[in-house]
Amino acid sequence: MKYQSQAVAKPYFIAAIGLFLGQILFGLIMGLQYVVGDYLFPAIPFNVARMVHTNLLIVWLLFGFMGAAYYLIPEESERELYSPKLALAMFWIFLVAGAATILGYLLVPYATLAEMTGNDILATMGREFLEQPLPTKVGIVIVALAMLFNLSMTVLKGRKTAINLVMLLGLWGLAIFFLFSFYNPANLVKDKFYWWWVVHLWVEGVWELIMGAMLAFVLIKVTGVDREVIEKWLYIIIAMALISGLIGTGHHYYWIGTPEYWQWWGSVFSAMEPIPFFMMTLFAFNMVNRRRREHPNQAAVLWALGTGVMAFLGAGVWGFLHTLAPVNFYTHGSQITAAHGHMAFYGAYAMVVLTMISYTMPILRGREANSRKAQVMEMWAFWLMTIAMVFITLFLTAAGILQIWLQRIAAEPMGFMAAQDQVALFYWMREITGLVFFTGLTLYIVSFFVKGEEARAS
Amino acid sequence: MSSAFTKSAARNIFYGGAVFFFLLLVGLSFDTMQTLPKRDNRENLNESAIRGKHIWETRNCIGCHTLLGEGAYFAPELGNVYTRRGPDFIKAWIQSQPTGVPGRRQMPNFNLTDAQLDDLVEFFKYTAGIDTAKWPPNIEG
Amino acid sequence: MTIAATLPASPDQPRTLPGDLAIWFFIFAELLVFGVFFLAYAFARARNVELFDASQLQLDRISGAINTALLISSSYFVVRAVDRIRHGASRACAGWLVAAMALGGAFLVLKLTEFAGKFAAGITMSTNTFFMFYIGLGFFHFMHVVLGMIILGWVAHKAWRGGYSAADHAGVETGASYWHMVDLVWIVLFPLIYVMH
Repeated sequence: MKYQSQAVAKPYFIAAIGLFLGQILFGLIMGLQYVVGDYLFPAIPFNVARMVHTNLLIVWLLFGFMGAAYYLIPEESERELYSPKLALAMFWIFLVAGAATILGYLLVPYATLAEMTGNDILATMGREFLEQPLPTKVGIVIVALAMLFNLSMTVLKGRKTAINLVMLLGLWGLAIFFLFSFYNPANLVKDKFYWWWVVHLWVEGVWELIMGAMLAFVLIKVTGVDREVIEKWLYIIIAMALISGLIGTGHHYYWIGTPEYWQWWGSVFSAMEPIPFFMMTLFAFNMVNRRRREHPNQAAVLWALGTGVMAFLGAGVWGFLHTLAPVNFYTHGSQITAAHGHMAFYGAYAMVVLTMISYTMPILRGREANSRKAQVMEMWAFWLMTIAMVFITLFLTAAGILQIWLQRIAAEPMGFMAAQDQVALFYWMREITGLVFFTGLTLYIVSFFVKGEEARAS
Repeated sequence: MSSAFTKSAARNIFYGGAVFFFLLLVGLSFDTMQTLPKRDNRENLNESAIRGKHIWETRNCIGCHTLLGEGAYFAPELGNVYTRRGPDFIKAWIQSQPTGVPGRRQMPNFNLTDAQLDDLVEFFKYTAGIDTAKWPPNIEG
Repeated sequence: MTIAATLPASPDQPRTLPGDLAIWFFIFAELLVFGVFFLAYAFARARNVELFDASQLQLDRISGAINTALLISSSYFVVRAVDRIRHGASRACAGWLVAAMALGGAFLVLKLTEFAGKFAAGITMSTNTFFMFYIGLGFFHFMHVVLGMIILGWVAHKAWRGGYSAADHAGVETGASYWHMVDLVWIVLFPLIYVMH
């Protein structure tokens, strides 16, 4: 670790992993509820489990992004963080707010929670992924602004590189587009239209900048390839991401009451969205092939390459599968969406955070890389989680295709629940694969406690 | 200096491209807002339907159901439920939850009053009237 | 390709793309988008020939033809500008670029007049599929002309102040390449949407 203040990243990463574990546990509960409908009812109804599952995902990724920013921005700017104390204070505020929100979901009926937290003053709750009570939303804004102030001051006074500028821009975009979560018009079409300005412009817009910056940072470190080369490719890749992704928002505007020309605009532009992901894969493999050093942290290299491949598969390929309007007409709102969502979030965002953690955690703990033994275990965890996610995606895709056939295409269309019963086998297989994923995650966590002799560069 | 590949050019492409396509998105969004009155069924968005949307949100219905295809995929699509089931069925169904059938998916009982049920139904009536370009493919959603 | 033909690479490096490689990624992406849109147009038209033919009659072909002439001429001016800077004539280069921009500006005025007429007649992107393409693609291209003019203006400004030389003028080639792309797209767009039926 080059700068003392980079150490604030550590609690962020630990919290991220902890919340990740929680996310997966609730995922397993939901997976079981898909086939054993009354499991844990009425203690944890499906909607509550899902809210916890998706909100934990968002929060742990945000923890991961923030930790990554606090680590890489001082290093790139070549100076200490403007205020490590502020960063640490924000950590606790965010953690407490996040935990309180999750407990609120679990312990209080949602309608009561809404009443208690001022939803009648400004109604923002009850929309997918934006279920957080008003104080939590305000808290997110405050934490994000404090972080942006802290990071911007650091960059302003320090060296400006493509990586820290892109990272900062991504985080600013994240905060700015989140503001649309406060806009909830009664007109459902408008509500949905601007809801996507948070959701889509996050995951297929500014988050890709954050992801690109993190990946580029780690690649520079573990391959020793010239910064100039990595940075110019970073710019080209994220340029492609925004060129395709901004108008690609249109692929959400096919069937929600918006004008029908979006079917053309959305299809054409989102058909190009796999390109930046493909470039990212080529980029990661190319840089590793051109490496000038053998970094002792081979696990981090594996995560970096894995991110490239899985982001392309999950976001690129599975996104493309159902993005064209004539296809989406049948797949919209089916298990196909769930399949894409799982692999894309894991492949692009979960994995890039884990890449960053894998590279930085040993350094934060005072060594260049973990012991060989710990790394082998981490790589096992990588393969278990990644392969499990591939199969979860395949099973959900199979379930989706069957569901669409029975419910939307067959001459005698089946009702929703009747069709669900027919695809139960795939839900069972998904749940079992989910347990494999959980095993991988457990192994991942255990790998942090494995001792042994520090790995050296070969 | 032919066929150079410089970081500054790459950076300019990024910033220029981002601004350009964001402006295009803003332009298309502007046109969308102009066109919406013809499609979004706002004439039927009365006070009751607005209250209904509030009930929809504060009971976190989206946590299990889809609405115009967006939401969770655990329970049926409700954007067209008004057309599929009609008002009386919807009210009776909500009131009779949970079914308590062992092993089946359960919906909580939200203890809604008759007035609240009417508002919710009014909201579904409004959503069913939105021009969704003929989606879903059939009545089953 | 038209672009390669209008801008022969310098003799010492015979087979390379002019300008910065970065712009070629952008050009590639843009041509891909336009290409897919053109294919989509052909596909949509094949499914509804009568509607497309009837709607097409409402377009002002004369205005479109003049615009085509304007853009082709402007591309020629840009070629002149690149030729000048290769001989180290910075001011002349800037002059040709400004002339090209003037033609671009004229294009925008004509195009706006066309659009104003359509809007006055109550025609929007939602009128029918043909007008979705006519207004949508036309506006999309319109924005490209604006961007191209901004790029040319920037390059002209730098050239005027002596920022390029006979040896180092990749920036001029970069801007020129983009402008030719904008021109090229129009050369396909005009016959496709205004004329062919």
